[in-house]
Amino acid sequence: MSDAELATPFRQRAGGAIKDTFLQEALTIATTKFIGLRRDAFASFPEGEALRDQARAIKEATLQELDRHLETLIGNVERLGGHVHYAATHAEARSIIVDIARRTGARMAVKSKSMATEEIHLNEALEAAGITPVETDLGEYIIQLAHERPSHIIAPAIHKTKGQVAELFSRELKRHAPPDPEALTRIARGELREKFLQADLGITGANFAVADTGTVVLVTNEGNGRMVTSLPRVHVAVMGVEKVVPSFTDLMVFLAILAKSATGQKLSVYTSMVQGPRRGGELEGPEEFHLVLLDGGRIAQIGGPLREALSCLRCGACLNVCPVYRQIGGHAYGYTYPGPIGILLTAMLEGTPAVKDLAHASSLCGACVEACPVRIDIPRMLIDLRREVDEKRIAPWPERVAFKLLATLLQRPRLYRFAARAGRALQRPFAREGRISRLPLFFGEWTRTRDLPPVASRTFQECWASEKDLAT
Amino acid sequence: MTTRAEFLGRIREQVRRSPRRFQADSARRPPHPAAEAETIRRELHERWPETLEAFRREFEGVAGVFHRVASIDMVPGVVSRIAHEREARELVSWHSTALGADLAPALGARGLAVHQMPAEEPHSVAERERLRAIAARADLGLTGVDLAIAETGTLVLVSGAGRPRSTSLLPPCHIAVFDRTALVDSLRQVGVFLEAWHGDGRPPAAGGAVNFITGPSRTADIELTLTRGVHGPKEVHAIFVEQPIRG
Amino acid sequence: MTARRASLMVTCLGDLFFPEVGIAIVRLLRRLGVAVDVPADQTCCGLPLFNSGYHADAAAVARRTVALFKDADHVVVPSGSCAWMVKHEYPGLLADTALAREAGELAARTHELSQFLVRVLGVTEFTSAVSGRVTYHDSCHLLRGLHESQSPRTLLSRLKGAELVPLPGADECCGFGGSFAVRLPEVSAQILAKKLANVESTGAGCLVACDAGCLMQMAGGLTRKKSRVRALHLAELLDGGP
Repeated sequence: MSDAELATPFRQRAGGAIKDTFLQEALTIATTKFIGLRRDAFASFPEGEALRDQARAIKEATLQELDRHLETLIGNVERLGGHVHYAATHAEARSIIVDIARRTGARMAVKSKSMATEEIHLNEALEAAGITPVETDLGEYIIQLAHERPSHIIAPAIHKTKGQVAELFSRELKRHAPPDPEALTRIARGELREKFLQADLGITGANFAVADTGTVVLVTNEGNGRMVTSLPRVHVAVMGVEKVVPSFTDLMVFLAILAKSATGQKLSVYTSMVQGPRRGGELEGPEEFHLVLLDGGRIAQIGGPLREALSCLRCGACLNVCPVYRQIGGHAYGYTYPGPIGILLTAMLEGTPAVKDLAHASSLCGACVEACPVRIDIPRMLIDLRREVDEKRIAPWPERVAFKLLATLLQRPRLYRFAARAGRALQRPFAREGRISRLPLFFGEWTRTRDLPPVASRTFQECWASEKDLAT
Repeated sequence: MTTRAEFLGRIREQVRRSPRRFQADSARRPPHPAAEAETIRRELHERWPETLEAFRREFEGVAGVFHRVASIDMVPGVVSRIAHEREARELVSWHSTALGADLAPALGARGLAVHQMPAEEPHSVAERERLRAIAARADLGLTGVDLAIAETGTLVLVSGAGRPRSTSLLPPCHIAVFDRTALVDSLRQVGVFLEAWHGDGRPPAAGGAVNFITGPSRTADIELTLTRGVHGPKEVHAIFVEQPIRG
Repeated sequence: MTARRASLMVTCLGDLFFPEVGIAIVRLLRRLGVAVDVPADQTCCGLPLFNSGYHADAAAVARRTVALFKDADHVVVPSGSCAWMVKHEYPGLLADTALAREAGELAARTHELSQFLVRVLGVTEFTSAVSGRVTYHDSCHLLRGLHESQSPRTLLSRLKGAELVPLPGADECCGFGGSFAVRLPEVSAQILAKKLANVESTGAGCLVACDAGCLMQMAGGLTRKKSRVRALHLAELLDGGP
């Protein structure tokens, strides 16, 4: 079989990513930098470990009474004059938001960065309804112009070089600047400023929502989150149900570790705590506030094997340390959320069959758990997904047969010893100078890039059986 | 369309039948946050110079520009110097009741065009738009500060009448004036204030937004190269006034 | 505290591909006055089945292993990943079976080699079988699964005749990951290439690790690029004589 036939679509995408020299350089620089920033931030923050444990506990405690906390949140949002909507599916979420946009007569919506809105593919739905969505986070703005999806949870355009961005701005905006981030940022600032001031509708996600008070919390750096929640008449916040936290006291625990985990900053430039609609004689703030609570597969996991993945803060720390992500980047994963947590979220949102290959996009090295601010045990859940793939017979049959054969060999020592002898015989044509550099068929997957040691002329147990080789 | 009852019902059912992963509690809220906030204030009052020094270090660490003056009447001098260095004239400011002092005349006397935000909500859409256009055009935005967090170099601003969100957001240069009464050590303490403001205490203002501002706006979205002044201000100045502003 | 008897769990990769590692361990333990036995008919701890999701089969292999080692005082394993499997996964896999208690006991009595030498035997001085500069790679299961980064470094830094130099990115995966290496070989190979670039940057003549999987991966890459660096198991390095 040729490589093309053997390889899954995921493996092909991964292979393409590896050959993309721009991407490779961008990934190496970005992930290495993020790793260093996070490491330094926690190195000078001794309380960090205890806070991570506490954050993990708060997430679990909240899930244990999620319905009650959401009820409190809903009550408070409504008490303040906001509206709450319930989206069981992505389609429903899109429909709710398009409806709100239509009713308010919005022609243009400014959006602050929101992975939840990426997840539900909101922009296409808005466009289809004649409403122009304008991404205002610089990274999201860039990928919107390029008609691409985000390649990292917090730095969506990290796969693009400054040269590519300059070329993009030149082509799509007819604005010309040298490939200099400062100059390019100025262009974006200029283009988007008017949009903020003119837009009727602002759409955001929510990093957290405080149940006690009906407050939505946005963690940003650019200022677009503040613009989007202050200037347009209508603010819609889209939020996964798991983002609710009981109180401000809980919130501060997360704020203390979130930015440090994401970018190494003590806090992001703006932490905006908004209650809508505007009140207290304010000049600014929305007249209408809508909170769209999103299920999309999350609720089923409260009692499911991926429950722990509901603790995710969307910081991206696991991506930066993942040896797989670092080689292939975000697009190769093929879904909204990439990286280690992305595989789990994809399983949650799209079902286990969607990750039959992605579940193996991991060497199970555990660097992700170490970096995760809430210590999500991603490798364990990846193994569970693999088990589900096995139990539901989703894996291709040659693989299942091979593993069944392995299982049999490992339980029958005589068969095992026979296999060793057979291996020794079969490898003879391939073993040279104590190593094997080429094997046919499937085994070529190893030997294309690495040598293999041959099966020893006598296995250890064979040596042990004839003691004489082990004299001290 | 999914109703609330259906949605919450589904969650309730999942919660009911799912095993707890481990014994866990959410954070313990302060039982009397207003009283605790008061205690924090009193305790900080004793050692404000240390807290100020920690704040200055962190604030400068996030590219904030720190100034210190003896009294509020020296603030216009600093503001006008900042303005002249940038060849800027148009200044939008919180209302004097929100700032704690009326600085408009002194600022005007130094050649700045001062637009003070009104203390009450505008009566018409046209008025609202006029004020927004002023803020959008202004070179400088002058605000007070409700809390200054030493741990992170953060300015906390509560919105409300006379203290719009845009003053610290739209102009490219934000100047914040504060005194020792705004200083707090840590995020944890800020949590107590937030609990108090939303609970048994009184917030500094009744608006719908509390903004934590930690330095000038920034992005690293292009090749992880740090650039300042994206959508929010490119510069943030904090002027510490030694003599408490409100006497 | 000195243990008098240890049972060697040689591991499938060790048995089939690296018998010299098992031989070196037997020699060094005997030199330390430890009586070594090797329960017969060993095959594997079951980790490859477990990691790919074949848990029923992994449990069957685990049951076998628990039974094989039930009379051991201490079980010594030359592989962080296999030691991790026994210590961390066996109790859970066999929780609802008749062997639950034995699985827990085996977990408590099982040690990866460097942990056995340093933490159980309290022995840290050895003579190196190889002279010159050596550098150490942290295998993922030993480092993050068993929380062990110190014991191998203690042994290597005190090794007579060899000089330990730090490996940049020592805690980064080598790209083996079991079946990962053949399911996503391009990714695995690139991870390996970066690891080996770090290895060669140290100027060390010898790369040391405590896991056969890592060693297969890294040695395979080193010989393919005809590097002067040799990859050795810790045991081989420590087996330099009395």
